[in-house]
Amino acid sequence: MIAAQDRKLALWNIGVAYIAFLIGTLCGLLQVFIRNDALQLPSWLDYYQILTAHGVLLALIFTTYFIFGFFVTGMSKSLGSFGPKVLLYSWIGFWVTTIGTVMATVMIISGEASVLYTFYAPLKASGWYYVGLALVIVGTWISSFALVGHYVVWRKAHKGELSPLFAFMTITTIIMWIIACLGVVATVLFQYIPWAFGWVDTINVELSRSLFWYFGHPLVYFWLLPAYMAWYVIVPKLLGVKVFSDSLARLAFVLFILFSIPVGFHHQLTEPGISNFWKFLQVVLTFMVIIPSLLTAFSMFGTFERAGRKNGGQGLFGWFTKLPWKDVRFTSIFVAMAFFIPGGAGGIINASFQLNEVVHNTMWIVGHFHITVGTPVAMTFMGLTFWLVPYLTGRKFSKVMQKLGFIQIITWTIGMLLMSTSQHILGLLGAPRRTAYTGYNNHPSALEWFDGILTNHVTMAVGGSILFLSAMLLIYIVVMTMFLSPKAELEADFVEFPMADSDKEHTPKFLENWWIWIGIAFALIIIAYAIPLYGMIHHAPPGSEGFKTW
Amino acid sequence: MKKTKPAKEENLKGTFVSVMSVGVIIIVMWVVVYYMYVAR
Ligand code: HEM
Ligand SMILES: [Cu+2]
Repeated sequence: MIAAQDRKLALWNIGVAYIAFLIGTLCGLLQVFIRNDALQLPSWLDYYQILTAHGVLLALIFTTYFIFGFFVTGMSKSLGSFGPKVLLYSWIGFWVTTIGTVMATVMIISGEASVLYTFYAPLKASGWYYVGLALVIVGTWISSFALVGHYVVWRKAHKGELSPLFAFMTITTIIMWIIACLGVVATVLFQYIPWAFGWVDTINVELSRSLFWYFGHPLVYFWLLPAYMAWYVIVPKLLGVKVFSDSLARLAFVLFILFSIPVGFHHQLTEPGISNFWKFLQVVLTFMVIIPSLLTAFSMFGTFERAGRKNGGQGLFGWFTKLPWKDVRFTSIFVAMAFFIPGGAGGIINASFQLNEVVHNTMWIVGHFHITVGTPVAMTFMGLTFWLVPYLTGRKFSKVMQKLGFIQIITWTIGMLLMSTSQHILGLLGAPRRTAYTGYNNHPSALEWFDGILTNHVTMAVGGSILFLSAMLLIYIVVMTMFLSPKAELEADFVEFPMADSDKEHTPKFLENWWIWIGIAFALIIIAYAIPLYGMIHHAPPGSEGFKTW
Repeated sequence: MKKTKPAKEENLKGTFVSVMSVGVIIIVMWVVVYYMYVAR
């Protein structure tokens, strides 16, 4: 077990994550019913207010806190207990992020910030919403630097050695995160805050969107890489094998530093202010991300096959039946991975320049991110929660909990299949996202969208309700394992941190020479962004005043 | 000198078929949307 102080830090992070999850999924449930005209909100509550809370609390807050809880635990486990300075800065980071979260949430609840989690200008929220978001980012930077400090101390004490895989991957994710946040920090500090507080009258919309998406795409990798860490490092241990290939894992991760950032224009393919050349260049760079993604897929299947054969699996697919399906820690993550296959394929479609026109701003996109972040990432985190929380609290994870865990992931799977399939189809038919209930003036082609077996209002409502029940079951499991389950006393009752061994004798040392990767990353960023951003500033369109549409 | 026999190759045929199926899923989904795009 890791040091008590490190456990406390991790638990607080996970605790906040699940508070956000609770409120965020409740919002999700309301959204489904409002969109279906099954629920009328009181006049002081608005659909877009709820949708903002849903996006911010789930996509930004739940993920970030859970990720830091996981990082803290794993870094303490793989590199040793945190020193006093690392602890201090981690707590400062935690509180700065938390103050920011509370500020942003209060502004959303008070109706001053119904601008959604992407806060596109010229929609204008209260300045304090942007200040809150800025504090969230700065807080994560402080926490990140604390972890980097912990890592640097270890490196100094182990000259010439490659760091343990978990630590390597944590640092990769953090490097990517810090570089990515530069964009959003720049736009929030220099554009949104002065504009929202009225120090300047107008805002350069195209620039603000571009800086946002410079951050927004790597943001999705900030969610995904910790899930990949679980896939690469935790899953093999659950299967009783080693990491499939240490070099492959490290290579895949550094490629994400390179190719997750200079690609934000793939979210702006329909925008007139960027020339096709730069869009095309970033589309090509986006497709490069397929390489580390498929490396990961290969390495996962390889891990499964190796483990299944070790347990006596024969023939082409006999190994499949020999996997530990009765272990909820594994099955949850397996389902998460399975969802990522259509999720990733959908991402390739979204990024395919012209094809983006078919899906842009439709419900397809909503379906897409619920089967990328909403399930592969979220369900991996659920699978981690089942052992991480009892590991940190020293409580038992009983047979009953294991059963509830299965019910929880099965219901999430069913609910998500219903909801996301209907969203994908609705989107292909043309239904827009980010819209409260509308009758489309009874236009027949719009009404037809909702006639399908999968796309009708009942199916969606059922899907959303099942999802919400699943979320509440998870909250129950978290509360039990955090506060109420009996303490483990016997050796066998203690929950372990399943961290697989990784053979690093043959791993090339340059993979851990961060300056190479940071250098190439900046070179690619400059190639992809310098000229178009310069153009947006130098030939700035007339700025826009703020609008409050709600 | 006796040649050392290379270690028996690990059987990863299932992995090969599986990754190929992932590729097929990607291509099929892509082509479906591509034809929707062309048809509109
Ligand atoms: C109880 C489970 C959930 C339900 C019922 C649900 C439902 C929904 C619905 C109906 C929308 C679309 C609203 C619209 O475009 O008008 C939406 C948007 C969204 N959801 Fe979920 N969701 C759930 C869980 C999650 C999770 C776990 C995540 C991420 C970790 C997530 C992230 C998002 C994001 C980022 C948006 C977009 C918000 C925006 O357009 O600004 N959702 N959700
Ligand atoms: Cu993206």
